[in-house]
Amino acid sequence: MDAPSRAHQSEARRRRLVALLADGGFHSGQTLARKLRMSRGGIWKLVQALREMGVQIESLPRQGYRMAHPIDLLSREEVLASLPPETRAKLIELDVLLTVDSTNRYLGDLAAPEPGRARVCVAEVQTAGRGRRGRSWLAPFASGICFSMAWQFAELPPGFPALSLVVGVAAVRALERFDAREIGLKWPNDLVWQGRKLGGILIEMRGESAGPAHVIIGIGINMRMPADVRIELAKHHAVLVADVHEVLRERCPSRNALIAALIEELTKALESFARQGFDGFIDQWRMLDVLQHASVKIVNGDQTVFGIASGVDRDGALLVEVDGELRRFISGEVSVRKQEVMPPEMDGIA
Amino acid sequence: MDIRKVKKLIELLEESGIAEIEISEGEESVRISRYPKGSVVPQAPTVHYTSAPAAAPTPPAQTPGEPTSQATPSAPPVAPRAEHTVTAPMVGTFYAAPSPGAKPFVEIGSEVNVGDTLCIIEAMKMMNQIESDKAGRVTAILVKNGDPVEFGQPLFIIE
Repeated sequence: MDAPSRAHQSEARRRRLVALLADGGFHSGQTLARKLRMSRGGIWKLVQALREMGVQIESLPRQGYRMAHPIDLLSREEVLASLPPETRAKLIELDVLLTVDSTNRYLGDLAAPEPGRARVCVAEVQTAGRGRRGRSWLAPFASGICFSMAWQFAELPPGFPALSLVVGVAAVRALERFDAREIGLKWPNDLVWQGRKLGGILIEMRGESAGPAHVIIGIGINMRMPADVRIELAKHHAVLVADVHEVLRERCPSRNALIAALIEELTKALESFARQGFDGFIDQWRMLDVLQHASVKIVNGDQTVFGIASGVDRDGALLVEVDGELRRFISGEVSVRKQEVMPPEMDGIA
Repeated sequence: MDIRKVKKLIELLEESGIAEIEISEGEESVRISRYPKGSVVPQAPTVHYTSAPAAAPTPPAQTPGEPTSQATPSAPPVAPRAEHTVTAPMVGTFYAAPSPGAKPFVEIGSEVNVGDTLCIIEAMKMMNQIESDKAGRVTAILVKNGDPVEFGQPLFIIE
């Protein structure tokens, strides 16, 4: 057997074993060995491989193996079944992977989809998930959504730099379908809930300043973030996280349902963005902008600026009032100079 | 002449209304013109750089070749070497490496092919991979990691 097909077989076996254990109950080594047509030693090796990927599997003498928590596995069939036919028709392919270095990298190595159609990849775990500037994004196995969509714009829409903001609006819309409330966006595109980070977006682009643009849109959303990971993130990365489970509790959707909603909202938003640019989204952004009127610090390269965040312009650039003067920023790390991020603006209600 | 000085001169030229400047320093001279000869379309400044014959040997990185035959009268004919300036296609922050602490995509002296990634320019969390549109050797990197760059700003010189 050559190396690729051996790797393929081992991936298939890992998937089957995870699927068998996903219910959270005990399964004896003997039963698992019979179902996977392997030796018990082979099962033990597979379990070790899965543990190295961050899958929490307990083993007890005489009882067998079980997962620390039951998980709802990603399923291509379930996602596709949740998509309306018109969205499904736009989808070239949906790749559901157990593990991948990065879903963005995976799609980036493939040819660009034709304009108007999407290719999507999701994975249970990313071994080298990319956050902003390549910071590795820490998401344990099946604890979140690692989602990427490849898309091509035949030509650049007006306000193209604001694409990240448009994607943020689409991601909030997807969550709102499940009645998620008070989810906001922190410029340029963090999803936040109660001042904590619920998700993030990273877009990679290849193309010229004119002509078609091939973009890979990466979205990471925390679904159920274990306490030890939260502590780790708070301690070493100064990031406070939230997850969809705490936002929605018993109404929390399966990851497959949320992925289907993301695909639908994102393709709609990208089509609308291609037609009318950022102008069609600017009002929606304002409603979700958690930085509005907040006192902020912006670090951009060697430069640090303090001011009052004052919305975005038609290119999605952040406007900040600095010493009575309005300045625009297109990159930089923004932090709020307060104990907590302000709640979304209540303009829509007043 | 330090490449940073050349960059500074380009910035000066861009800020001013001047079409061309020529500076001589010791045995080296550099002429920077806003519009290439015969061209009427405004574009990013073109750098013509000449080393005088008696100039002390300088590191290759600091002696990009003469692009055309527009040598200054004092210079002898030099073998024309094709020089190509890669400019920023968008406004944003320049990143030389795929992640902090990682090896840069290219360094001075790197051989690149068409389609090789030279750098990333980030704006609003959109990472734009800038690919080389020419094959050759990187002879100058005109910006440093984390620098904000403007549209059309020269980033690399490929020979």
